[in-house]
Amino acid sequence: MRIFIRELKANFKSLLIWSVVLFLLIMIAVAKFSAFFENPEMLSMLDSIPPAMLDALDMRSFNLTTLSGFYGFMFIYFGLMGAMAAAMWGSDIISKEERDKTVEFSLVLPVSRSQVITAKALAALVNCIGFVLITWIVSIIAVQQYNPDKAFFDFLALEMQAMFVLEMIFLAIGLLLGCAMKHYKRSGSTAVAIILTTYFLSILSGMEEKLDFLKYLTPFKYFDAGNMFRTGQMESIYLIISICIVLVCVFGAYWIYNRRDLYI
Amino acid sequence: MSIIDVTNLTKYYGKSRGIVDVSFQVEEGEIFGFIGPNGAGKSTTIRLLLSLIHPTSGSARVFDLDVVTQGPEIRRNIGYLPSEVYYYEGMKVIDLLRYSASFFPGDFTKRMHELSEIMELELNRRISDLSYGNKKKVGIVQGLLHSPRLLFLDEPTAGLDPLMQRKFFNLIREENARGVTVFFSSHILGEVQRLCTRVGIIREGRMAEISDIRSLQQNNYKKVRVMAEGLDADLFQIPGVTNIQVEDGSLNFFFKGDINLVLQKIGGMRVEDVTIEEPTLEEIFMHYYE
Repeated sequence: MRIFIRELKANFKSLLIWSVVLFLLIMIAVAKFSAFFENPEMLSMLDSIPPAMLDALDMRSFNLTTLSGFYGFMFIYFGLMGAMAAAMWGSDIISKEERDKTVEFSLVLPVSRSQVITAKALAALVNCIGFVLITWIVSIIAVQQYNPDKAFFDFLALEMQAMFVLEMIFLAIGLLLGCAMKHYKRSGSTAVAIILTTYFLSILSGMEEKLDFLKYLTPFKYFDAGNMFRTGQMESIYLIISICIVLVCVFGAYWIYNRRDLYI
Repeated sequence: MSIIDVTNLTKYYGKSRGIVDVSFQVEEGEIFGFIGPNGAGKSTTIRLLLSLIHPTSGSARVFDLDVVTQGPEIRRNIGYLPSEVYYYEGMKVIDLLRYSASFFPGDFTKRMHELSEIMELELNRRISDLSYGNKKKVGIVQGLLHSPRLLFLDEPTAGLDPLMQRKFFNLIREENARGVTVFFSSHILGEVQRLCTRVGIIREGRMAEISDIRSLQQNNYKKVRVMAEGLDADLFQIPGVTNIQVEDGSLNFFFKGDINLVLQKIGGMRVEDVTIEEPTLEEIFMHYYE
């Protein structure tokens, strides 16, 4: 409990910074959206963009002149930010003790390593929940000027749930990296590398039908905003895969951290 | 029951040697000195006992609990002062000490102020603003705060000025008088000599000798110096003689055993001068490293 509270305090600044970045992203995006909103000229301009380009940017599924369409297009950026923040929190919260050489203090206290992981993972989880809630709230406030209907709010709620699942996947991956990698400097950068790789995989799988199987390898494809928009739900097969990834990573994190030597 | 019981403890970091086949016991209430040069394996041994790292083979028990599986229980009664002290930089000294104390049952506020006063530690400063010596003081207060039964001190005096060192030694003696067992690791022999009752000498990862500090100095070794004409080192090639050196017409060596054997040899010679004295720990130590 004490570790949990200390970590919450120590990570609050980081949550604040991410939230400010997200706030700016939403504000700028919504301001730009005013040029698209119910504008037929934009629609014809979008039609003239080459289809491959639209695929790459995942713009084909949406009518960008509607608020829901625009938010569908925005989802991947929320997902990316959530994934990035979660992976950094997950890996950093464990590996920073070795980076700052504080393990000789914090792990000489009468606590087990499992207790340390649990407390820290919960603190990172609180950050992730906070990040989704902030995205949600800022979005609701930002779109008020367009008088959104209930369908939009339902879609937004679904997107936020999907963003949360993405966060959970990358939080678990980050946690595993932080617990497993003795070279603490590499855990953060490895996490970012995994995110970027899986993100580009998701673009590739959308562009080329032969590469369609890649969609199972990249969490960013699990919750395709277009699909969610059409079906109004997350696909259960991908939810199951997500839960499996999270369980495996978290279990692995505990298993490895309890057995390995701390790097001092 | 020994407070620390180490049996054939071995640690390799990949292929590089940490410690090899180290065995020793530390009894309740003693101050055990653990000496060896840098890189001999002192910190490795302590970190194994604190379960920060896990042994390659062999076993170690503290308070009769296994260090690999029962680390958290062991650490309830342990105070540790690492050789280099690092704390959460953003915290104030007082918050850090309270945080540390909160993991142990009891109220240590009074003790915290007592110790800080003795060590002249300012409680309201931020950890990141402290000098190396001041961080060390935080380490001392943090290590002693919760009145542990066993203290691990790893090169504790580095960074402390002589006055603080003396206060620190007094603190350790007071703790020891209350029955606290102390494991004192150092490469400075003078301070081990001042404080410890028994010493273990570690060399290249192996335990070279474990001995009562008195018997190490008095009973076992004598430093013999003989001045005479026509000295021959071969004359003193008798069992127990080690480290023979000839310089400027004098012969120096260590002797361990029945001193009469040496006296008989000397008695048959015409000598200019003879001295037989107890070697300093420093000299004994050098002897182990040659």
